[in-house]
Amino acid sequence: MASFERASPALKEILLRIYNAEKPIEVDHHLYEFGSVEYHIKSSVSEPQVTYLSISTPFLSQGVFLSYGLSPFTLKMVRQISTDVLHIVEPANDGYQLTLRLDFSKLPHNKESLNIITEVSSVQAVILSSQLKEMLQNVNSGDSSQGMYKPIKLIYHPKEPFYVIRQPQKIVAVFPMRFKDNSDVIIATSFFQELIDVVSLKKWAKVPPCNWSPIPPLELRGEPFEDLSTNGGFVSFDISSHHVEGKRLDKIVWSLLNFYAYVKHHVKCTRGFIQRRMRRGLDNLIEVLEKSRVEDGQIKKVQGWKKMRKMVASKSKMIKRRWGDLGKKIKRIRFRIKIHGFARFRRRWLKMPSFSSSTGYTKLQTNGNNN
Amino acid sequence: MASTLRLYLTCIRNTLEAAMCLQNFPCQEVERHNKPEVELKTSPELLLNPVLICRNEAEKCLIETSINSIRISLKVKQADELENILAKKFLRFLSMRAEAFQVLRRKPVQGYDISFLITNYHCEELQKQKLIDFIVQFMEDIDKEISELKMSVSTRGRLVATEFLKQF
Repeated sequence: MASFERASPALKEILLRIYNAEKPIEVDHHLYEFGSVEYHIKSSVSEPQVTYLSISTPFLSQGVFLSYGLSPFTLKMVRQISTDVLHIVEPANDGYQLTLRLDFSKLPHNKESLNIITEVSSVQAVILSSQLKEMLQNVNSGDSSQGMYKPIKLIYHPKEPFYVIRQPQKIVAVFPMRFKDNSDVIIATSFFQELIDVVSLKKWAKVPPCNWSPIPPLELRGEPFEDLSTNGGFVSFDISSHHVEGKRLDKIVWSLLNFYAYVKHHVKCTRGFIQRRMRRGLDNLIEVLEKSRVEDGQIKKVQGWKKMRKMVASKSKMIKRRWGDLGKKIKRIRFRIKIHGFARFRRRWLKMPSFSSSTGYTKLQTNGNNN
Repeated sequence: MASTLRLYLTCIRNTLEAAMCLQNFPCQEVERHNKPEVELKTSPELLLNPVLICRNEAEKCLIETSINSIRISLKVKQADELENILAKKFLRFLSMRAEAFQVLRRKPVQGYDISFLITNYHCEELQKQKLIDFIVQFMEDIDKEISELKMSVSTRGRLVATEFLKQF
């Protein structure tokens, strides 16, 4: 099962190192992730228990939030990570959307401290998911005076946007799917069909309904062509108000944000699985061929030669046949490495020995006088 | 369905038994060269009529024979796109490892998915009956492998979809 952690592993490691350090250490560390997320961690010896963490991350939706910075809902979600340890510094440092002041002296001295540091390391996921949560929380509060709602383009992974369209009584999340390889497209399409089949079962009645279509849905028809040109079709989830009640909101948001990564991980694992199965199939097929080899000394069972088997009784003839087979094999062997003078050696010493025939005769030398 | 497969395989087996009568025949055009005549096709008198055995439009077997070699080309059934890519991947995988099979051709004949080239030397090293058994068994096993692969991929997809939905 793929695990898509919310916490940044590098940030977590740095924070743990600062927290567990025996002596106060001076830290001024810039960290970059996914090409567009930047962290700045600063800790000085003069304030040993305090660390400043600044984050710069592209927003999910560029148009709505850019002019206002982080929304109050997002700031509220960030504060909820830990009210004692974490304080928001306003204004944020230059070039960053958010600066946090972490007071490690307020951390409990047990395993809970590790959980809090892990939560702090997932601040980037909190910022992005809070934006989607804000949209999904207002499922039923859409302005019904507008006939058609404009789709909101959200970007979690670079070059992989997805759309959220507000409709009466529900919100539709549409994922245009793109893959580099044709075989990836077919594996993914097979996965989407299985997903739709599973969702249609009674057991999964409580999950958001899922659809797949090779053409863009009607709601996206006005969007730019480059965003709608796909080879994997469009997957859409219909989210109603009962899907986002209580703790389900957080789960659904994280699942939607990581849908692309989940599908790509599944396609990659399936390719590896196919490769392993093919290797096993190859070994099974080669085994069958190996059984058809003619072994040394084995008498070939050919129809019509049964009487000949009885006739071949003498030991010398058997030895002669074995030498003959061996000689043929030696002649057929192709020497990859040429050894100078080996051909002469072979002709002289590896020559087939000649056996005297039991029915043959020795020619007597005549003395010239015939008596 | 199984009966048509049996008939198809029996027909191929009988044809191979008749066609696989190979003998050593040096090249007529170049001295001291010994080439499989079925590949070169320079001397028509050394070639026999090719035999095409079709199970249906999608599955067929072409057997081309010459005095010292025989070429068997197979077209495997591919019912949908998934079977298409699985068959293509698997047969390409086997072709790239042709040295392990000895009798397998690295590149299939145009219009077919996989090809074998059997020469008189192979018939001397390997038993003819078992070689024919191998070809027929290969055809059965390929179909079985591709069907199993397809089923495994679908089952995996279903399991992964189930796990994904558990998160909601």
